[in-house]
Amino acid sequence: MLGFASALYVVMERAVQDHVDRELDEAAIAAARSLEEHRFGPFLLLDDLAHAFPELALIDKFFHIFGPHGQITLQSANIKSRGIPLSQTSLKAALQGHTTFETVRFHNEIPIRLLSYPIRHGDTLVNILRVGMSLRSGEDMLSRLVFVLLIGSPLAVAVSMLGGWFLAGRALRPVDSITLAAQRITGGDLTQRIHTTSKDEIGRLASTFNDMIARLEASIRQTRQFSADASHELRTPLTITKGETELALRKPRSPDTYREVLESNLEEIDRMSRIVDELLFLSRADLGEITMASVPVQLDTVVREIQSQAMVLGNERGIETILEHSEPVQVLGDEWRLRELVLNVVDNAVKYSPPGGTVQLSITTTDGRAQIVVQDHGIGIAPDEQRVIFDRFHRTDAARAHAQQGTGLGLAICKWIVETHHGTIDIDSAVGQGSRFTISLPLLSA
Amino acid sequence: MRVLIVEDEPKVASFIRRALEEESYAVDVCPDGIQGRDIASDVNYDLIILDLMLPGLAGIDVLQALRDARVKTPILILTARSKVEQRVTGLNAGADDYLTKPFAIEELLARSRALLRRASGDTTSRMQIDDLILDPITHEVTRGGQRIDLTSKEYALLEYMMRNAGRVLTRPMIAEHVWDIHFDTFTNVIDVYINYLRNKIDRDRERGLIQTVRGSGYTLKVPAG
Repeated sequence: MLGFASALYVVMERAVQDHVDRELDEAAIAAARSLEEHRFGPFLLLDDLAHAFPELALIDKFFHIFGPHGQITLQSANIKSRGIPLSQTSLKAALQGHTTFETVRFHNEIPIRLLSYPIRHGDTLVNILRVGMSLRSGEDMLSRLVFVLLIGSPLAVAVSMLGGWFLAGRALRPVDSITLAAQRITGGDLTQRIHTTSKDEIGRLASTFNDMIARLEASIRQTRQFSADASHELRTPLTITKGETELALRKPRSPDTYREVLESNLEEIDRMSRIVDELLFLSRADLGEITMASVPVQLDTVVREIQSQAMVLGNERGIETILEHSEPVQVLGDEWRLRELVLNVVDNAVKYSPPGGTVQLSITTTDGRAQIVVQDHGIGIAPDEQRVIFDRFHRTDAARAHAQQGTGLGLAICKWIVETHHGTIDIDSAVGQGSRFTISLPLLSA
Repeated sequence: MRVLIVEDEPKVASFIRRALEEESYAVDVCPDGIQGRDIASDVNYDLIILDLMLPGLAGIDVLQALRDARVKTPILILTARSKVEQRVTGLNAGADDYLTKPFAIEELLARSRALLRRASGDTTSRMQIDDLILDPITHEVTRGGQRIDLTSKEYALLEYMMRNAGRVLTRPMIAEHVWDIHFDTFTNVIDVYINYLRNKIDRDRERGLIQTVRGSGYTLKVPAG
């Protein structure tokens, strides 16, 4: 502000001086022309001059005409009593044919600007014309400017500070609420959201922030649910192994009893290993650490091999697995994972089939996609549970009662494998009538 | 003493049942919430061990239903989650105690004993009538300092009678608290076991502690006069 004021003052001072100098110059040229018309000399009559150039009569300028040696020969009427001798500098300059600007200040009075203008005839200096002008109006203007700057600048600074403070406050209030929300979120409260109605940059920042927190909240809730479910699933086999072992150790038992306890414990240990393996697999899959091959796979061969495995699995309970339709089908993917996928679904179908039941299997090309259908006639799945069976650790009550050895992760893994192969897995089921799983995968384009 | 276990994991229910049977309790197992609620309202159990995660009806709802139906049987809840809120909810809903899975079998037995003792109004675990002493922790029974060896069923019958000393116990009451759900009410098994017990604790005594109440049943008390 101070810099601006100083610069403004300097510029204005220069402008005023330039203006004065230009006026003096014009007056001098006009006067000089008039003198030439009158053939110079001491005969110049100011009245004539004033007549010829009315602007010269203006009181703010006065003229002196000096002889070639600096002596006054004529002066305008408005010069009053003051005689200002020609300075040595301007005389010298005039002798060399240069014009000179000077500012003269008498004690305590308004300074006067003087222009010394040589009038030459050929190479000879005939006269020196001096035009003078009071700097009063310029001084007045400059002092008024100083006054305005002195009072105005602090006022402007104060007003702009107030305004800035007000505007910044208004603009930064949403930022403040974002900061507060962020602090509360850091404190663990992920339900916090920023309330904003503005549509500007801050509004967009707030809504981006809200989206981010919502996603964070969902992901943390999912993680918490997952680890709670995982610990619950692990607690059951732990309770069994601990309880059975402690009970066996309470008193001496027969070797058969010990054998039974050890066999049961081994089953539970296997179940725990499976849960841990599958959990690790899914968490690595979530992190994108599972590498999948992408090679042509003869899917009908895979299905045929699994059918013979399923016959072995169902042997004990007399469950037959029939391959009803089989077409040569090729897809692009990871053979080992696809095998795991089909085996998992077929194994479930066998598990939930009644003794002596059948599981139907087919592999076809339908609507330009590879389609595997696995149909069982087992206990079926209720409609409200069909939506969640692919969720992690979801086991229906019926599944829990039916097959205690499940981990609740098999179908979650199936879904993951299908999705990484850009396919879909769907279920069609009715309680008591069995379930039909349909896996659909893109064909390998020839 | 008769205990109901409401637990859907067969192996968990099985080892708890075997442990309680070794302690001479009569044990019934129910794998479902709705069945559990119904059987617990019908049969006068001395203790219910209730898992909170159940198919059919959640454990907490079973608990609520039983307390609403004025069933005063002590209930011990089993929870897989060690979350404080869940235990508090269980206790507030009328559970008497809780255990978090996995638990130590001895702790389950100790808590069961404590709940039974509290229900019968005793402050110490050892029970005594005249010079007959029964220790439910060691299952040691003595009469006048003489050790008496009892079979598991005899012990269970004596414990039930000592916990209800002085009261007249009808045959159906004895059947309900000492035998499990497979008990056949049309036999004279109770009279047979009362005779076994009499032979062991009242033998060679002028007046026995086990007295027959004609037309009703039996009572255990110090003989008058």
